[in-house]
Amino acid sequence: MNKAVRFLMATVLIATAPPRLRPQEAFSSGWNFAVHQYRLNNGLRVILSEDSRLPLVSVVVAYGAGTIWEQRGQIGLAFLMENLMFQGSENVSPLQHLNFIQKTGGELNANTTLDKALFYETLPSNQLALALWLESDRMRSLSINRQAVERTKMDLLETHRRRLASEPYLESYSVFDTYLYPDFPYGHPLLGTGEDLKNLTEADVRGFAANYYVPSNAVLAIVGDIQIAKTKELIARYFDSIPPGNIVPTPPLPRFEQRGEVVRTLKEILLPTPGFHLGYRFYPLQTGDKYTLKILEYLLFRGKTSRLYSRIMKNDLTAYYLNGGLEERRGLPALKILALNNNEVMAGRCQKAILSEFDKLKVGLVSDDELETAKNLFKMDYLRRLSTGLDRALFLAEAAFENMPTSVLSSELDRYMKVNAQNLNGLMPRFFLPQNKVVLNIKNK
Amino acid sequence: MKHPRPTILLPGPALLGVLLIVCSAVEAGGQERFRRTPPLPDTFRELRLPAIESFPLPNGLTVAVTPRPGSPVMTIQLVILAGESDSPRDTPDVATLTARMIGRGTLELSADNIEREMDAMGGDFSAAVSVDYTVLTFHVLSEYLDRTLALLRPMILQPVFTEQELAVVRRTYFYELMDKRKNPDFVGQRQLLRILFENHPYKTATYAEDVVKYVMVKDVQAFYSRFYRPENAVLIVSGDVEGQAAARKIGQHFASWVRRDFERPSLPALAPNTKERVCFIDHPTSEEFVIFVGNLAMAPTSPDYYPFLVLNQVLGGTMGSRLFMNLRESKGYAYEAFSEAEFFRACGVYWARVKVAPETIHAAVQEVIKEMRALASEKAVPEEIEQAKSFLIGNLPLGLESFEGYSEKLAQVVALGLGAGHWNKVSDNLMLVNREKVLEAAQRYFPPAPVVVIVGNRAWAEQALSDFNLVEIYDSMGALKMTLRKGVEK
Repeated sequence: MNKAVRFLMATVLIATAPPRLRPQEAFSSGWNFAVHQYRLNNGLRVILSEDSRLPLVSVVVAYGAGTIWEQRGQIGLAFLMENLMFQGSENVSPLQHLNFIQKTGGELNANTTLDKALFYETLPSNQLALALWLESDRMRSLSINRQAVERTKMDLLETHRRRLASEPYLESYSVFDTYLYPDFPYGHPLLGTGEDLKNLTEADVRGFAANYYVPSNAVLAIVGDIQIAKTKELIARYFDSIPPGNIVPTPPLPRFEQRGEVVRTLKEILLPTPGFHLGYRFYPLQTGDKYTLKILEYLLFRGKTSRLYSRIMKNDLTAYYLNGGLEERRGLPALKILALNNNEVMAGRCQKAILSEFDKLKVGLVSDDELETAKNLFKMDYLRRLSTGLDRALFLAEAAFENMPTSVLSSELDRYMKVNAQNLNGLMPRFFLPQNKVVLNIKNK
Repeated sequence: MKHPRPTILLPGPALLGVLLIVCSAVEAGGQERFRRTPPLPDTFRELRLPAIESFPLPNGLTVAVTPRPGSPVMTIQLVILAGESDSPRDTPDVATLTARMIGRGTLELSADNIEREMDAMGGDFSAAVSVDYTVLTFHVLSEYLDRTLALLRPMILQPVFTEQELAVVRRTYFYELMDKRKNPDFVGQRQLLRILFENHPYKTATYAEDVVKYVMVKDVQAFYSRFYRPENAVLIVSGDVEGQAAARKIGQHFASWVRRDFERPSLPALAPNTKERVCFIDHPTSEEFVIFVGNLAMAPTSPDYYPFLVLNQVLGGTMGSRLFMNLRESKGYAYEAFSEAEFFRACGVYWARVKVAPETIHAAVQEVIKEMRALASEKAVPEEIEQAKSFLIGNLPLGLESFEGYSEKLAQVVALGLGAGHWNKVSDNLMLVNREKVLEAAQRYFPPAPVVVIVGNRAWAEQALSDFNLVEIYDSMGALKMTLRKGVEK
């Protein structure tokens, strides 16, 4: 069953299914923690996990409200909406959400991705009710008015201007993404030039909030020093009476019509040194590809002895900066590399060397030792990613959006650990093809 | 005194109807009553962590173990009780380069061998050098404890320092410092510390990148020989381990580390700045102006430490604190306005950090000093004190949750000698702080003349600089270029 169908089924279930409790399921991936999941009448999915090592609780509210829902001319709407969530609600004045959390010693943040807007806070566990009061108030009664919209737009534009000034490669990343993900819903940036943002209206924001910032399109994940029964009571008190909202349609599937490789040169922006972005798309995936690709990422980039780091940074010395990794945009993974070089000759050599390493992987099997190293490095990162309550809550919320059952989660690490040399060897010729490849060359000033 | 018992009226049907409406959970406007005000907190659960268990080995090495049951990742840290202030004055950065040379080769293993073995175990290794101490940190998967110790032993006991490897380490460190110099916050803080640490060994930690090139292999070797000694080190293990068993294993691996009598040099006292001093660092690439206003405070072992933490929190710890409310929310001078503090073996340093536009530089400095003086002349409002304490107590466990946060703070507790049960006492110590103690701390540590450091593009700040009586002008490396009196070169 593909993701789109699964998502459609999930949204139908959200709107019609009565609340039900699933038995507690143990999640075992090096860490042993139990997960409780259920759904409220309004469709809000709830995930709870108890961890009493420290007197803390992390609360994540994730809405399926990312940039994928922006139309042409609306770039920045999802990000604007994320920021407006701090501008007050019926019982909470503008910016008071932050003050309430800070007074307890807690910390909070938010971010917007392709398909989600995530809001999260970690605070002393005796303040759980406060976090739920705050999150439920803005879920049910967010204050959206013209003044708040205009003020937030100005703040975002100013922050974006500062960021562009301090991070010269930010724009080249955005341009590269539009080639690597040519579909508008998948490839457009969070803010871009800011021109669309300037023209967004209060009505745009209200429409976006009504469509996507609703319980039936959200996940509440709580991890920390909690008592499950008491936490459920609190959740029922604060969230049960919020209207469910409309059914969110299926997000568009990506479509690619690239025939050969795409090689472009960035002409609009000149950067301090030459370099290039190089990427491959991996779509559609077969069973197990997700795990093989992840181990490939570690084999190529992670650790001080990985293939590309060793070749480029230690042996050839053709780049002074190399960064790369796997990025996933709603079931659409891509390998992305940025190399910065001292001159264009070096940039050319560097690019050839990277491609030759891919060719080697197509023809020869990876040794057991090299594979074991990649898997151990991955395992370490995977376990670290689950080390704090917030990490776990984010992990669980994201897994819920992928409709991944807990039974799959509990054996997920094992699936990565079972990747073998034949899996890697079989994947390379299927995906490392010209029609999946995009290069964006960077010229210097 | 007894209160008369009130008369109870039994409601009739009409009154009952009214009461039912009043008592229902939903108000006429449509929202439930409980939504109107924030809920009260539950009973507060104090932070309680297992105490650090210490096991002294015969050669003087101390093994400290903090159990983290169920953790699949283990952290091993070697704390060397020598930091950048122990680098010779004519070759600053030796402490940092020595720490970075650990792992760059041993008698039997090349740097590449070591990296391969570390990667093979899924582990990583980092070296951090502060003013007072050095920490070498290894994060590894728990199943590889024995294999990790087998790698650490030659790395620490038999390092080989070659000119070839040192050249690579020096170059990397140099470019890191060059990169940091682009950051106006880093440049401003460094200048503040330079002034406050004048004529003290701590100043060695504040030099610019141009001195890195002077460090030679013989300097690294000498630093290593002097300070990397078992009686000057603590090896910390945190993870799913039992203390005695971990100490025994480490004892087996590190028994050959030879003890030599060593006495750590004592540090001279530091005196706070008492005369008005304004420094401007010309940083042409800065988009905004960053102002630091700071001075010396006490070491973390002082009885003033906890009152000072509360004081600093009231001044500028969060967006609800005085600096932010005044300089950003009320006056609109600043984009950011916070205060911070850092503590060392011999002292502490605090600073207010404010980001402003050029036209508000002078006014912002005056307001920061005014807020400091206000706290030194009048007791803070009880609510402010309670909020500050609540923040500090509530925030403490957040910094201890991740492997990285926990191990960094653990090393600090060990290196600064804060005691085995340090974290469990923090809440109690903070609870004892009251308005009077905060006022005393402000009077003692907020003297009339803090050091002011401003970082920004001088071309945009000529008018602002003429508002100050005397301003020392520095370049971004920290070299004094001139002094201005009312904007005119002296």
